[in-house]
Amino acid sequence: MATRKLTRSEQLQQTILYPLDWLEERSGIVGGVRYFLFRKVPGDINWFQTLGAATLTAFLVQATTGVILAMYYKPDPNSAYSSIQHITNDIWAGWLVRGMHRWGASVFIILMFLHMGRVFMFGAYKYPRELNWIIGVLLLASGLAEGFTGYLLPWDQTAYWATVVGININGTAPFLGPFLAQFLQGGTYINADTLPRFYSIHMLLLPGAIFALIGLHLYLVVHLGVTSPPWSKDAAGTGPSANGAGRKSRRGLLRYGTRRNGR
Amino acid sequence: MASDRLVERRRVFKQYKEDVKERGKPFYPFAMWHDTVMSLVVVSVIIGLAIVWKFSTPGDHIGTDPGWLGKLYDAPADPGTINFVPRPDWYFYFLFYLLRIFKWPESVVLGTIGLPTVFLVLLIAMPFIDLRAERRIGRRPVAVIAAIMVVLSMGILTYKGATAKEALGTELLAHVPKWAAKEGFSQNKQAVAGAKLFAQAGCLNCHTYNGDGGHNLGAPELTAEGSKNKGIAFQIAHLKCPACVNPGSPMPSFAGLGDARLKTLAAFLEASKGGK
Amino acid sequence: MQPHDEQPHVPGPSLWPVGFAVGIVVLLIGLIVSWYIAGLGAVVALAFAFLWVRDLTAGTELTHAEEVPPEHPAATAPSASEGEAGMPPSAPAERYPRSKFLELSTLGVGGVIGGLVTAPALGFMVAPAFLKQGQKDHDIGPLTDFPEGKFVVATFMSDKSEGEVSRRTAFVRSNGQVNGQPSFTIISNHCAHLGCPVQPNGPLDQTGEKQFGDVTLIPTVSIAGFGCPCHGGQYDTEGNRTAGPPVRALDRYSFSIRNGRLFLGKPFSVSHVDGAGGSAKIHKWTLAYPGEHVNGIESWLYPIQPPH
Repeated sequence: MATRKLTRSEQLQQTILYPLDWLEERSGIVGGVRYFLFRKVPGDINWFQTLGAATLTAFLVQATTGVILAMYYKPDPNSAYSSIQHITNDIWAGWLVRGMHRWGASVFIILMFLHMGRVFMFGAYKYPRELNWIIGVLLLASGLAEGFTGYLLPWDQTAYWATVVGININGTAPFLGPFLAQFLQGGTYINADTLPRFYSIHMLLLPGAIFALIGLHLYLVVHLGVTSPPWSKDAAGTGPSANGAGRKSRRGLLRYGTRRNGR
Repeated sequence: MASDRLVERRRVFKQYKEDVKERGKPFYPFAMWHDTVMSLVVVSVIIGLAIVWKFSTPGDHIGTDPGWLGKLYDAPADPGTINFVPRPDWYFYFLFYLLRIFKWPESVVLGTIGLPTVFLVLLIAMPFIDLRAERRIGRRPVAVIAAIMVVLSMGILTYKGATAKEALGTELLAHVPKWAAKEGFSQNKQAVAGAKLFAQAGCLNCHTYNGDGGHNLGAPELTAEGSKNKGIAFQIAHLKCPACVNPGSPMPSFAGLGDARLKTLAAFLEASKGGK
Repeated sequence: MQPHDEQPHVPGPSLWPVGFAVGIVVLLIGLIVSWYIAGLGAVVALAFAFLWVRDLTAGTELTHAEEVPPEHPAATAPSASEGEAGMPPSAPAERYPRSKFLELSTLGVGGVIGGLVTAPALGFMVAPAFLKQGQKDHDIGPLTDFPEGKFVVATFMSDKSEGEVSRRTAFVRSNGQVNGQPSFTIISNHCAHLGCPVQPNGPLDQTGEKQFGDVTLIPTVSIAGFGCPCHGGQYDTEGNRTAGPPVRALDRYSFSIRNGRLFLGKPFSVSHVDGAGGSAKIHKWTLAYPGEHVNGIESWLYPIQPPH
């Protein structure tokens, strides 16, 4: 078998491809990533449709800054406040990480609402994306719960009393309300157990749920595809075989036009 | 046996998949470029906010003076305080203000649990409520109107929640010189003493005065009370027994303050002619 | 058709009922002696009950479906909705084919393991919030520190070992002597609407502040009631709601007097108070969270209170 010496650029290519091929043969991951990156999306998608990725970025900022903050924060009522002061004033770039986490929360929630509004206006919650919408609403609820539980952690007056009111609001729910309030508080009143409880929910329970839900959410986006904007004239789903007449009509992605059989 | 509607939708979805395969562009780099730019904007905004928050705060940052974006932190939590008004984070202001709207004891559970739960359920069930396949905005009047109404109402509730005033005794006490200057009774010792009492006796929980206080419970604005010239005697009698003077008034009696203090309060009210 | 059409289905002899009976007895004994034994008895009884019922239903319609010859042989995989019926039929001679036994026991054992791991952990998460509630009595000072007819703002720690987080505030007013006993009105400062800190409607006498240990006493000059700044709830000097969204009167503390010192006891909820001072009639209820009605129709929304 004749071999030839590879050119410089071909050699460079091989050094990159060789470990990737090694990985692909042993796991199949490279194929998955390649599918994710190079899958086709409609050619007419819009800037509005970047809001989902923006929300994901905001959440990743929260997760990263949160992990770093957790290395310096002390979840005990007697030392929480001073640890926050320490982070803000003494630790190098502590003010930056804390500020990013605090304002990242607001940005995350705004972006979630904007993304939800965009999905609603584009009708992208309709068949076959209903399940994705439901997962999205669960993500919204989890994000708001993250905001609520995280608000207590600085243990200042605002944190403490806003949490008292929030827990009591939950307590007004019929039948199970008092039990829910007592479970959240860890007792009849906010006590030394409440802060670690909220910390655990904020750091472990909810982020775990959110990561899992985001995974499902993204899987469904890849599996079901991204919609064209509803005003697009060349929307995917309106190909020449649509409605059988070969007419390229101005239709949205899914248009159930004529009423048949009285339905 | 699938319905006609479902068969049609499956066909259109299949068509969609084929169209994307034929005429679509690869996610990387076309769509991912948009996503990356947007993400850069988001991260920059977050970092910018963090920088402004820290560096616009005056003082040594151990204290609690607010900067452009508010305080770095409040005083340490004091579960025994009698001097604090709780507020949630801004994205809960719409729920916070809902609580002020539902101010009748029988309706409390509607504002805390009822309405939010109803809307959450509607939100989750949205794909099963809206079964039409139409996506063009111009052909979805119900959806557009509902969206506008929801955005407007949440926006208004959030704004009202942000600007809602509370009557905190210690804070109001600091406003007395400002009131005295505005209304012109700085030289009137009795009126000033009455103003201080007015700030601390909880009057501004229900009344408004020179921009302070809460008008949530429908009590009259008192900034120009003196211009009505009701007289000191009337004011004292009213403070002692509001319902006797004003039948049906829900205002509680302040007779417990004692005659001397009631006189200063009356003097203050009569001196409040509405300011210049 | 099934054999039982021709003759009655008589279950074969088996020992499962004996085990079930033993389990029931152990359960009953455990109810008296110890919860662990009761739990063991319940598990044993359930296990043997399952085996007994399985025995009884063997060969009946509950466990065997009509065997439909598949239209396409095993080449097409069965869809999810067909499930067991879609599988190729097992040899009819075996009552409990090995695969079926393995299926059931895998699920069963897996379920048991899951339960063994989760139940204690879940209990650990949920139970401590409800057990060992209640508070010790707190000494808030000698009786002479509480002038008659004037409210004193008292802050104290309800559990010194927990520190500042357990700080509470109460408005204490001595009502003099009633029937030869000192009478006090002690009102909690948690608003009955949603728990915001309630303010006294009147000036405080900061110069008269006394402090000892964790207790601080600040007398008021004179107050006309209490007001909550959050949503405008107003109360009179007995704690009755006079305006705003609070759903009942302010909670109160019970008290006791030892060696001339005032001790605060357990708090309780109040729907309303008739009269005033030492002769007031207080309509008491078990402690409820803010926002919960204690009487009237809406109290039916909260039939059971968790242990406080």
